[in-house]
Order: sequence, then C-alpha cells, then structure tokens
Amino acid sequence: MNTNIPVEIPARRRFDLRSFVETLGPLLALAALVFVTYKAEIYFKGEQNFLKPENLINILKQWSFVGIVAIGMTIVIISGGIDLSVGALVAMAGGFGIWLMNTAINAGKFISENDAAIKDYNDNVAMGLNLPLTLPWSGFRVGLAHFFQQLHMDGSNAWGVFFAFTATILLATLAGWLGGVLIAKGRLAPFIATLGGLAIYRSIALSLADGGEFRSAGGTAFSAIGTGGINLPHFELRPGVPLQLPWPVIIFVLIAIFAAYLLNKTRFGRYVYAIGSNERAAVYSAVRVDRIKIYVYTLMGALCGIAALLLGSRMNSIASSSTGNLYELDAIAAVVIGGTHLGGGRGTIRGTVVGVLILGVISNMLGILNVSPYLQGTVKGSIIIAAALLQQIGRKE
Amino acid sequence: MICGMPVGQTVDLRDISMQFPAVRALDGVSLSLSRGEVHGLIGENGAGKSTLMKILSGLQRPTSGEILIDGEPVHLHHPIDAQKLGIVMIHQELNLVDELSVADNIFLGREPGGRLWVNGRSMRRAASDLLASLDSPLPPRAKVRSLSIAQQQMVEIAKAVSQQARVLIMDEPTAVLTARETKALFALIERLKQTGVTIVYISHILPEVLHVCDRITVMRDGKIVTTLNDPRGEQVTERKLASLMVGREMSDFFPPRTTPSSEVVLSVKNLSVRGHASDISFDLHAGEILGFAGLIGAGRTEMAEAIAGLRKKSGGRIDVGSALADRLHSSVRQGGPYEEMHSPPVGRDSNPADSSPRNGGIAIPPYILRETKIRSPRDAVAAGIAYLSEDRKAAGLSLDLSIVHNTTLVSLPRFGTAWLSRRREELATRRYVRDLQIKAGRLRDPVRSLSGGNQQKVLLAKWLETSPRVLIIDEPTRGVDIGAKRQIYDQIAALTARGMACILISSELNEVLGLSHRVAVMRGGKIQAILDANEATEQTVMNYAAGVSAP
Repeated sequence: MNTNIPVEIPARRRFDLRSFVETLGPLLALAALVFVTYKAEIYFKGEQNFLKPENLINILKQWSFVGIVAIGMTIVIISGGIDLSVGALVAMAGGFGIWLMNTAINAGKFISENDAAIKDYNDNVAMGLNLPLTLPWSGFRVGLAHFFQQLHMDGSNAWGVFFAFTATILLATLAGWLGGVLIAKGRLAPFIATLGGLAIYRSIALSLADGGEFRSAGGTAFSAIGTGGINLPHFELRPGVPLQLPWPVIIFVLIAIFAAYLLNKTRFGRYVYAIGSNERAAVYSAVRVDRIKIYVYTLMGALCGIAALLLGSRMNSIASSSTGNLYELDAIAAVVIGGTHLGGGRGTIRGTVVGVLILGVISNMLGILNVSPYLQGTVKGSIIIAAALLQQIGRKE
Repeated sequence: MICGMPVGQTVDLRDISMQFPAVRALDGVSLSLSRGEVHGLIGENGAGKSTLMKILSGLQRPTSGEILIDGEPVHLHHPIDAQKLGIVMIHQELNLVDELSVADNIFLGREPGGRLWVNGRSMRRAASDLLASLDSPLPPRAKVRSLSIAQQQMVEIAKAVSQQARVLIMDEPTAVLTARETKALFALIERLKQTGVTIVYISHILPEVLHVCDRITVMRDGKIVTTLNDPRGEQVTERKLASLMVGREMSDFFPPRTTPSSEVVLSVKNLSVRGHASDISFDLHAGEILGFAGLIGAGRTEMAEAIAGLRKKSGGRIDVGSALADRLHSSVRQGGPYEEMHSPPVGRDSNPADSSPRNGGIAIPPYILRETKIRSPRDAVAAGIAYLSEDRKAAGLSLDLSIVHNTTLVSLPRFGTAWLSRRREELATRRYVRDLQIKAGRLRDPVRSLSGGNQQKVLLAKWLETSPRVLIIDEPTRGVDIGAKRQIYDQIAALTARGMACILISSELNEVLGLSHRVAVMRGGKIQAILDANEATEQTVMNYAAGVSAP
C-alpha cells in the first residue's frame, strides 16, 4: 500500500465574498461615488465641474498629505498597532522646521532683538523682564541664531530651506522611533503611547509658536516643492497656462508604490503581516518582533515628516493649533475604508489609496453641492461605519 | 424522576443535508439518540461531525432535513432554542468568562435574585450543591482563571446540567486532560447517564471512545458509514474503528523504527528553568526519536521552550553537534546534508518486516559537539533546532496568512531580502503540500480555512523548511484526525531515517510509546527515568509520571 500519492492542488476559482469586499469593494464604491457626484452636480447646478482635470487634480493635491500619512498608518495597522499622534507630529515637525529655518534666515534680527530686550531690562529693572519670546524657546532660539551666525549660515535662504527640510524629517523620524521603542521595548499599548505623543507634540508645537502660526521666511525656495509640479502635456487650464501635476501628488504616488513593494515583496513586509496576524506565533517563528515594530513606527514618523514638509511648503506656514488636526482620524478612516482589518494582519496599500480618494471625492462633492462644511463629519463618519459594516458581512462568510 | 434506565428516542435527526458554497458537508444524514446513552461520534476531520452537531445545537441551519425531539419536529434557529430544549454543546474551546467566579459562570445570564441585584449567597449555595452532586467539589467563589483546564471543563458541565440539559454534546473533551482527569470525567459521564442525560461524545482518541460509549456512529465524507449498536458486546477493536473512519484497512499504526546513529546532535546538561524544570540532562542522537512523557505541568513544554530560546534558562548548558562541513557553511545553512529531506518521504512498506534498506543505513559524518548559547528563537533556528508549539492556533500559525506565507515565515531569508521570490516560495510550499499531503484549496488561501490536521501539517512544513537537525515537536497530533496522524508519523519516521533527531512531547502515551526509541518520563520538572523502547510500557511510564514507586 502506498500512501504517498502526489496530491495536485486543484485550481479552484470560487467566489470569495471576503476577498471580493476587501479588494474590489472600495473601488466599486469610489466609482459609484464619482458617478453620483457627476450626476448630482448636473442635476442641481446644471453644469459640470467635478470631472474637469483641474478639479480632480485639486482633490488629489488636497488629500495627498493625508494620503502620505494614511500609507504609514496602513503599515502600522497591519502590524496590529495604531498611531494617534500623526496629526500632532505633522504640526510639530513642520512647525519646528519652519522655526529653525526662520531662526537661520533672521539670525541677526533675533540677536539684536534679544540684545535690545536685555538692555531694556538692565535700564529699567523695575519694569521686569520682557523678552521677545516666551521661555524656554527664546534662549534656545538666540543660542541657535548665534550658532548660525558663527558658521555664516545666517541670512541665506538656501541654508534655511536645507535646515527646514532636514529638521522636519529628522525630528518626525526620531519621534516615530521613540514611540516605537516605547511600544516595542516598553510594552506600552500603541493606543496609549501614541495618545501621549499626540498631547506632547501638539503642546510643543503650540508653545514654540506661542499659539500662533509658523510663517515661512524662506520665500519661493521653500514653497517650491509644495506648490510646484510637472506640466501635464495636452492639458491647458487657459491657453498658455499648462495644467500641473503637483509635487505632493507625485510624492504620494511614489510613496504608495514604495510601501506596496515593501509590504508585498520584502521580508520586512511579510513580518509586518505576521506580527499583526499573530504576534506570539511571530515570536515563536524567530521573527525579531520588537525590531520590526520599531521600524514600523519609525517609518510612520518619517512619512509624517514628509507630509509636514509638503504641507508647510504648500501653505507657506504651519498653524500650531490647527495644522494636522484630525489627520489621525482621516488616515484611519482611509485605511478602514480601504478594507484593512483594524485588528491587524490583513490589508493593502491600494485599498488605502482608494480610501483616500473616496474621502477626497466626498468632501469635494459636499463642497460642490454647497452642503455645510460642518456636516462633512457626519458624512465621513457614516462612510466609515458603512465600510466597517461591509467588512463584517464579508467576514461572516 | 423516573428510576432505572428509561428507554425511548429523545432526539431524531432525519435526512439532514448541509450544502456549503464549495462542499456538501452533510449528505442525507439520519441519526437517532436514545435517552441516557453515551453515543460516540467519530470520523476524520471534515467528515461532518462538527457540522452535524452545530446543527443539533442550533449554531447552523441545515439545507434540508428535520430534527424531531420526542417525535415532535423542532426548529432550531439559535443556540438558545436548543438550550431551551435541553441540548447543550461543550466546545473544545471552553466558553467561560475568566474573570468571573465559578458560580457566576454556571449561572451566567440566569442569576437568581431580583431585577437589579444578584442573590450571591443563594447562587453560590446552588453552585456548590450542583458541583457536589457531580462529585467535583470546586470552590464556587474561585475565579475561573485560577482553575486548571480540567476544572474549567467541570464548570462547563455543571453549567449544562444546571440548564436541565437532556442532550450534552462533548467535542474532544479529553484532548486537554491528563489520564487521571480523564478518568474523573468518565466517572462523571457515567453519573450523568444514570440520570437520563444523553451524551454525544466526539473524539479522536479511539480507546476512550470504545471505553465510554454505548453506541458509536462512524462518519465519513458527510455520510454515516455505520452505527455500531453494541460495540462492547461485538468486541469492536480500535483498528476496526480506524478502518471504518478511513474507509480502508489500516495496517499497523506506527511506522517501524529505524536504528539511530551514535552521533550526538544535542546534548543538554543540567538545564533548569526557574519554577518549571530543573536539572534536565540528556543526549539526543542523529536519527533518534526521544519521547517525553509526563502529566500536564510536568515541565516538558517549558524545557522545550528553553531549548528553543523562547524561555530564559536559569542554569545548565546546551551543546549542539554538527558536521564539520556544515559548520563551515553555518552562515548560509541552505541546502546542506538535510536538503535531501525534501524528497518524498519513504513512507511505510506494505510489508512491515521489510525495513532493511533504511535500518542502520544512515550515513552521518562525524559530529563535533560545541556549547551553543541559545538566547532567542533566532539562535535556536541558527543552531538547527526547530520547535513546533503545542498551541497551534495561539503560537504556531498566523491564521490570516496564506499557506505559502506560513510555510516560509521562519526561513524567509532563503527567499530573498529586498525582493522575495514568489515562485521559489510557492515551489517550496508545493513540495510540502505533496509530501505531507496537505489538503488545501489554493496555496494563497489563509491557513484559517484548513482543517486541524492540515494546519498541523503546515506547521510541520514551516519548520522542516528550516532544515532542522533537531525537531522538537510538542503534541503533534492534538485535534488531528487519524489519516493526518498517520501521515505526520510517517513523515517524522522518514525524516529521522535520514538523520534528523526528534524530541517528541505528547500526552498520548501510545504515540510516545509507538514512535520513540527512548522515552524520558518527567514529573515535577525533573526527568524521572529514560527508558529504552523495549522496557517502556504504559504501566512503567505511568508509574514514573505519577510518582508511584517503580515495580
């Protein structure tokens, strides 16, 4: 008796509701949404602007920042975690970059202001100390200004922009790494560690700007990457004015492609799925779980830095109180709408990209139809709940 | 209360069919359960036992067919419907709330008292009366978390009894119990039977089925093969049951042993794990299967986890042996002398006596033993040690991931770093699907979709892909059907015949006795004895395991 009959694997192609809902579902929803928006605009307004290239590009441009964060969030959620600190981190890192750039460019001004304040203090001791900036940042800033002056880097836009770029990305990456260490080595729940991060980063941003905004002194050199783009052939807004594909959109797409490669084709990506699916089994399978988790949150931080940089460059400023507000919710919403399982272990980048587009089309549609912007949250919330419900149905099968 | 043994049908399942999108799980199954009987239900995984019982307990609705209770047709749309009729299922994974007390769990959802307040005292009194009547005195206040698995099972049974259960369905109740606990469970089953409760007993452990059941129904491929009305009277054997389940005559259950080499691959000296194991010493030879027997809690798993780098050692040293040639290429432990293990297994010959080609024929180059520090699972993998956890679902497999991704998870560096080769990964997986006869739809299906036996095979594949010198396999056949069991045994035998060493930890004593060259018996974290295969009998092993002085 031979028990070793080779078993062929039947190439059974059966209808799988779950994978259908997870892969094609969001795309179909997007298509339906586009169609409805298109029809609704014609019905209510009699004209059609929604499907014009400039509007579509506008949607992409507005949502590419959230999109970049959502890509990182996808990886975090697949690994079984969550990051609530992304919005605050964008504000802090972007703000700090501009702050540092301004310090370098206006070093002379800060030093003289400080000298004047000290002189004022010495002249009128009874009047009390009246420094131009609140503590502790004023001293730090003046120190940095002296440092830049010593190195003859002050007053130069080029150096300023360089500092803004490196500082924003380095600070965000460092913050992400720190969060990762707390979660992996400190065994903190990701929810708690990043909730703490949210509070801390926002507060640092607020105190650094004294509640106001960081306005760039970097001029066009700084705003180039956020506002510029590649000219699209064959499309012209007006005769002679070409339509541009903005840099943030291009960077978003490149990051999405890179992240999809990372998740599907590298060991790192496989380990991320394994950890999210069953962390204990990953430990037993000799996966260096702690290290991978730290990588995941560091990457999340780096992507926040890129988003912060692009956002600051596009707006030419970062508002310490409002920039990046609710990014964590938009990002998580895009991830969930894209079919990624909040419990970890399952999900795709392409789903998240579609999720971002769905959010973008919805808010654009509401704008076009003159719906009160305050109602956007209601619509967004309903969509998230609907997406989660659909996933539930898919899972039951 | 009716005295004596009441007769008469209580439950009648008529012509039940169940059609799932891809498979017909049940095909015109009719089964009748009499009052006060223990009815065994056996069959390989996927035979339809679980589906049938899910239908009876209201978890699933059949595509066609009807259920009659005392001759009346009933409709079960929800487990609550079944519970109201006295049908309760005790699942393999117990359904208790860990943080609540024994009494709370027994009366969960039916607490005595008013609308707002629970009358704790009367609830605890009722619970302790109930437990006493089942002859299993547990403190009603104890948190379920603090109980052993056997005690938790008692709580489940007490809960069922308190719901006036008439039909109690037990799914693999002894899978997690020690021999002594199993005995206690059988006594309890006997008592329940006397009070007129019908028990449906699902199990893979055939000697127990024969011991405890009044009637036995065998299922295969969604149909009932036969119902044995008087298995005790007819002197039905284990082998007969097995052949009915598989549908063909099974020859001897365990593959023949091959002669191990004299080269030591793993030498453990005075290994200790604080609180679990102390002073463990043994040598493991190439081609040898060393069985570890003992009661649950004897420290076997903890010892294995320490060797595999999953647990901190509090003392002792581990020496790993390897051939010189192997050591030269230790950084890339690819291929090597064990790559040949991936060729199809030798399998068992039709004539058990003819095993000469493999006996003593292992060509093992001389080994060099060297102390190896194993501080992490990675160190263990690098040293050629593979550990298959006993807890397949919690620690063994990533159920969401595909068969391919599970198979290659540990040995992923072999398939690339920056660009994993999907083709090579699938090729490797396909080889195991063939060799281990893994029954799967598509390679990209999640492991969750496989049956227990096939999941176990994927776990085995995952670790074989690391080309281990030492395979530590903990409860290899828990919740696995007979057919898959045989294939796993065959595979272990074939691999050891080619020089792999194996540590086999199992609570199924006949498995340890049937496969091992030597049997180490542990009790209280210490090795009590290492017996040769010919001196290891059920009796001697149990004596050492239970601490009864050896005869």
